[in-house]
Amino acid sequence: MSRLEIRLAGSGGQGLITGARILFEAFSMEGRRAAQSQSYEPTSRGGFCYSDLILADDATDYPLVTGLDVLIALDQTGADRSAAMVKPGATVLYDERLVTAPPAGEFNAHALPLNAHAVSAGSARGANIVALGAYAAMSGTCRLESLEEAIRRETPERFVAMNLEAARAGFRLGKERS
Amino acid sequence: MTTELQPLHGNQACALAAVAAGCRFFAGYPITPSSEIAEHMSHELPRVGGVFVQMEDEIGSLAACIGASFGGAKAMTATSGPGFSLMQENLGYAAMTETPCVIVNVMRGGPSTGMPTRPAQGDLMQARWGTHGDHPIIVLTPASVQEIYTETTRAFALSERFRVPVVVLYDQVVAQLLESIEVPPAEQSVAADRPWAAAGNGFQPYAETESLVPPMVRPGEGLRVHTTGLTHAPTGFPTQAPPVADRALKRLLEKIEKHRDVIDKSDAYRCEDAEIVIVACGITARAARRAVATLREEGVKAGLFRPLTMWPFPERAFRAATANARRVLVPELNAGQLILEVERLTAGRRPVAGLNRVDGEPLAPRQISDRVKELARHD
Repeated sequence: MSRLEIRLAGSGGQGLITGARILFEAFSMEGRRAAQSQSYEPTSRGGFCYSDLILADDATDYPLVTGLDVLIALDQTGADRSAAMVKPGATVLYDERLVTAPPAGEFNAHALPLNAHAVSAGSARGANIVALGAYAAMSGTCRLESLEEAIRRETPERFVAMNLEAARAGFRLGKERS
Repeated sequence: MTTELQPLHGNQACALAAVAAGCRFFAGYPITPSSEIAEHMSHELPRVGGVFVQMEDEIGSLAACIGASFGGAKAMTATSGPGFSLMQENLGYAAMTETPCVIVNVMRGGPSTGMPTRPAQGDLMQARWGTHGDHPIIVLTPASVQEIYTETTRAFALSERFRVPVVVLYDQVVAQLLESIEVPPAEQSVAADRPWAAAGNGFQPYAETESLVPPMVRPGEGLRVHTTGLTHAPTGFPTQAPPVADRALKRLLEKIEKHRDVIDKSDAYRCEDAEIVIVACGITARAARRAVATLREEGVKAGLFRPLTMWPFPERAFRAATANARRVLVPELNAGQLILEVERLTAGRRPVAGLNRVDGEPLAPRQISDRVKELARHD
């Protein structure tokens, strides 16, 4: 497989870095090498935040974004501040309620009820995990089982059940929409 | 040989590699973007019977490392630009007293407190010439999490073997990056101790030896040693006698030159037939590597020369890599530092151009490939 650039974007506190770390683990289980980086600012209580995942066959390849193949935007800030980096033909997944003006362009764009499904799974804070599930189903790049195992490894014990539920809800949502 | 793939952040890899190399003493003052090194050392060292000290500042941090090293321990400190500036006096003392120690400098935007969370490569020359006087030093520049691990273990091996301070120099991007790396088996990472002195009549702690590296006194074993930053004779006592002072300094410098075959390390990527060779380190080298791959697809004969040992600069390998080049391009995250060494070695034989960025953002592959194409139009 060739190089793939994925960004999770939104605001501090939405679990963007945790989300990318889970995806990193899931892809690792599928035998793919990845590099993960993130915005490095004090944004734990809001403000634009992102986390990037670069998949490449060559482990020494450039580990930062050059043009996004996938943008997962959890709110308007994340969508606005990342729009210029999205490549034509890229997949753009965004929350249908928190992103009112999605990036304009020739994208494969999908408005999804990420927050609504997260609330059903237990907490709005699981919107990041719902998004991962939806992405996995729609892209076919990562199996649900790998995502589930990554969630077990990377989230605190008390959130594992809720996050697994969120991932499965997202996966079902992705299947319906693809 | 078995290796396991492990996801690690750059700074985490640095700390784990240090412990694997045998580091048992860390003194530091946490500073962005190096703080995770201190954090991980504070977890790891007590588990292996080592000592972690959070110091009052960076002057004390390196001073404590020098003391620990003279006490027999492999010692390390970690910092960023502002702290590295404070360490310069003791860095010279370590060089002069031939005290093994490893100093990690995770570069951020400067000068002064600059841009704490932004990458930069503005300390390349400071790492070579930051402390006063002619002095020996080794500086290593890893470009990935994997290389942070291997170069940190190499830093201990070189520092111990040649009794010289070794600086591991990388940028904020690589420091905070998460990558899966191959962690070598523990026995491969352990750095051999410095040469130890044996008791005997007429012992001189700074005697001239075949390797030019005098064996070090193991504390508490009966040998007496006088240690000073003043220019000293083989006895260890101060001298200003011209022939003795001359030999004392020249031996310090020659012990590095004599072992260049072990110290030099670099990587040449597609340089054999390259018409334009890019010289870069750290995150910039990874952008350059991508640029080279793209340019080659477009039919442009580009190559990349990457020093892993920045100082002393791997001159011989550089000359070989650029032998057939028409031009050299030096992209770097500063106003032009590495280019000075490249120009010195190129000596006007072919044009050398720079590409510089000092706004706190890394150079993108596209910027480098565009600059190469722009230069190629002149040929």
